[in-house]
Amino acid sequence: MSDQTHMPAGHDLAPGDEEQHSVGERVLGYVVGLGLALILTATSFFIAGTDLVWQPSIPVALIVLAIAQMGVHLVFFLHITTGPDNTNNVLALAFGLLVVFLVVGGTVWIMSHLNQNMPPMDDFIRMHS
Amino acid sequence: MQAVPTLEALMLGKLDWSAIPFDQPIPLIAGGVVLVAILAVLIWVVVKGHLPYLWHEWITSVDHKRIGVMYILLASVMLLRGGSDAIMMRIQQAIAYQSQGYLPPEHYNQIFSAHGTIMIFFVAMPFVIGLMNLVVPLQLGVRDVAFPTLNSVGFWLTATGALLVNLSLVIGEFARTGWLAFPPLSELSYSPGVGVDYYAWSLQISGVGTLVAGINLVTTVLKLRTKGMNYLRMPMFCWTTLASNLLIVAAFPILTATLAMLLLDRYLGFHFFTNEAGGNVMMFMNLIWAWGHPEVYILVLPAFGIFSEVVSTFSGKALFGYRSMVLATMAICVISFMVWLHHFFTMGAGPDVNAIFGIASMIIAVPTGVKIYNWLFTMYGGRIRFATPMLWAVGFMVTFIIGGLTGVLVAVPPADFMLHNSMFLVAHFHNVIIGGVLFGAFAGFEYWFPKAFGFRLDERWGKLAFWFTFTGFWITFVPLYAAGMLGMTRRLQHYNVAEWRPWMIVAAIGMAVLSIGVICQIMQLVVSIRNREALRDRTGDPWDGRSLEWATSSPPPVFNFAFHPDVRGEDAYWDMKIAAQQQSLEHDVPEYQDIEMPRNSPTGFVCAFFATIMGFALIWHIWWMVILGGIGAFATFVVFAWRDHDEYVIPAAEVAAIDRVNLEERRSLVSMAGAI
Repeated sequence: MSDQTHMPAGHDLAPGDEEQHSVGERVLGYVVGLGLALILTATSFFIAGTDLVWQPSIPVALIVLAIAQMGVHLVFFLHITTGPDNTNNVLALAFGLLVVFLVVGGTVWIMSHLNQNMPPMDDFIRMHS
Repeated sequence: MQAVPTLEALMLGKLDWSAIPFDQPIPLIAGGVVLVAILAVLIWVVVKGHLPYLWHEWITSVDHKRIGVMYILLASVMLLRGGSDAIMMRIQQAIAYQSQGYLPPEHYNQIFSAHGTIMIFFVAMPFVIGLMNLVVPLQLGVRDVAFPTLNSVGFWLTATGALLVNLSLVIGEFARTGWLAFPPLSELSYSPGVGVDYYAWSLQISGVGTLVAGINLVTTVLKLRTKGMNYLRMPMFCWTTLASNLLIVAAFPILTATLAMLLLDRYLGFHFFTNEAGGNVMMFMNLIWAWGHPEVYILVLPAFGIFSEVVSTFSGKALFGYRSMVLATMAICVISFMVWLHHFFTMGAGPDVNAIFGIASMIIAVPTGVKIYNWLFTMYGGRIRFATPMLWAVGFMVTFIIGGLTGVLVAVPPADFMLHNSMFLVAHFHNVIIGGVLFGAFAGFEYWFPKAFGFRLDERWGKLAFWFTFTGFWITFVPLYAAGMLGMTRRLQHYNVAEWRPWMIVAAIGMAVLSIGVICQIMQLVVSIRNREALRDRTGDPWDGRSLEWATSSPPPVFNFAFHPDVRGEDAYWDMKIAAQQQSLEHDVPEYQDIEMPRNSPTGFVCAFFATIMGFALIWHIWWMVILGGIGAFATFVVFAWRDHDEYVIPAAEVAAIDRVNLEERRSLVSMAGAI
């Protein structure tokens, strides 16, 4: 990062842009992405309805497939790669994931704890009747 | 059978003459006076022929400096509005001992709700966003923000929100629910009026504006930096801007989603936060504070940045512990997302949850402490000049430390159980928000005013303003701590406890002193504008500054810099000055080049015009007007997206003519300093 110079105009890339690739290469990238996304989608629908696999594993399998789907979208469509100009995008994604994890995880934890200091509702109703 | 709606209901929704508060003299007279004032200004502008100038140079401007100034102007006007609310509340509590005071409860409730909403969303937010807009591109050595037209859209949407809140003064009513509109009070069954709708829609619209500004500034800092300005050479204010805007981008969608759920409850009979049908009120508290706590740091981080710049400039030293400051800023940025439960410790969560969030809240004081020590060590051994911005900075350090300490106190859950919703809490958050954000905004205002307008502010009135505000602040808020310790809860319209009375009277006196401070601030502006020739800043560097905003003229030309500065270290401009003094001065004429700048665009103003119509129509259920506003805003966007010419060229000769004047002044300054 230290001797990377940032010109205000000219060579800088907008988020999601990549270095020049030929049209063919880029189309190929999108086609591969579309193919993978379709396969993952089809598999999800298949798994949800099938009895070929051990039933309790289905929710886990769906979560894994969903995360893989996100990965495919990020790499092939949003162009999150390990390239040198992608540091910002990767860091932004990491920050976003951290915030989502903190807020969603925190919310689930807090909301499940909320009634801890309350007397059980049954006692409460009995007390007042 | 459903009744057929009348023509009036179709055309005007819930709006009729009963919306105008003819029976309440205070809001009606206040609204009338403001209306007359606005009309008078408008007539003056039109008659004097200033309208074309205003339209071309300000309203449609996409120049980040102009937009920054307009943000600060909006914040200053709203500060007077929110301040009048504060004065009314202090007077009410001073006289409402065993009596009703002079404000009826429903009016008093609107006032404290409007005070909080306005001060946070329409004073603190536009003030810091305005300063960031004005300064950050200059400090980074670039010509504009990343998305200039979007910037203008963001500003005008914020102004729309402010307009709607103020409209509620005359047409209808404002929320009576407190500044965060907690359900179930804010639900339709308990607040059937339009007050909560005014609140929610104005925040939804201005929230879009804030999010847009956040995206813009994050992109600017990450993507637009001049040659050699790598991350660890950025001025501290740019770092705190980055952190604060990352928080905006992450937190404001939570606010939007939460208010959207509340609006679904109110408009379409959903049950997110109702008492019945499986709604959960606590989910609202949880979500609104998941936004609300980061919001506090969105406001205070830029203030920390301003103090870093001010302390280092007026101590004549580089900032002490620059890297630890960066680290502390980013640590606050992340930890601010891990403490939100401390706003509702008392609402039923178990000891595990309370303890963890309590500890996290205490931990956030550590990076803040690092910053305080860094400022102190920057001052240590420096040649300190107590100009007005430095006075605000020192006043901040004293005030903020005490506010921070009472904050650590209420971060202890058992203590919080005693102090929750008391006047102690009110005193605490005013202690940090006034002492931190407002003092920071004033410091930044005094510090960068010469850069924005080309002349310095009057020091005598500035110092008077500081001392009155500072003492007024303490006289107002120490009594509130005391009253809180005596068990006084917040938001009381009247009370019967004799021990609280003296404290409320002292607080009202403090408010009077604070108001003198505000008057001094206005006087300072008037006096400085009158004496502007004597106060003129010709060199562009009135404070002997250290960062790049001082390397261009005051006010900067529209393109900011004729050449992109080449940065070789921290304190870029300071290094350049030292280098210029050591080397013999070269008087060669630089090769000027054409500069392309973005063209002005009325997109922001037109978008906000339609957003105002849409917001007003949504509040009053005038559905045809909602559709009209929506179509108008979308059409504006389409026209903007299909525009052909988005830039214009400033020819090299013109750039040279503008730049040469400033270059001469600057060279004579450097040679003078060199001679000494």
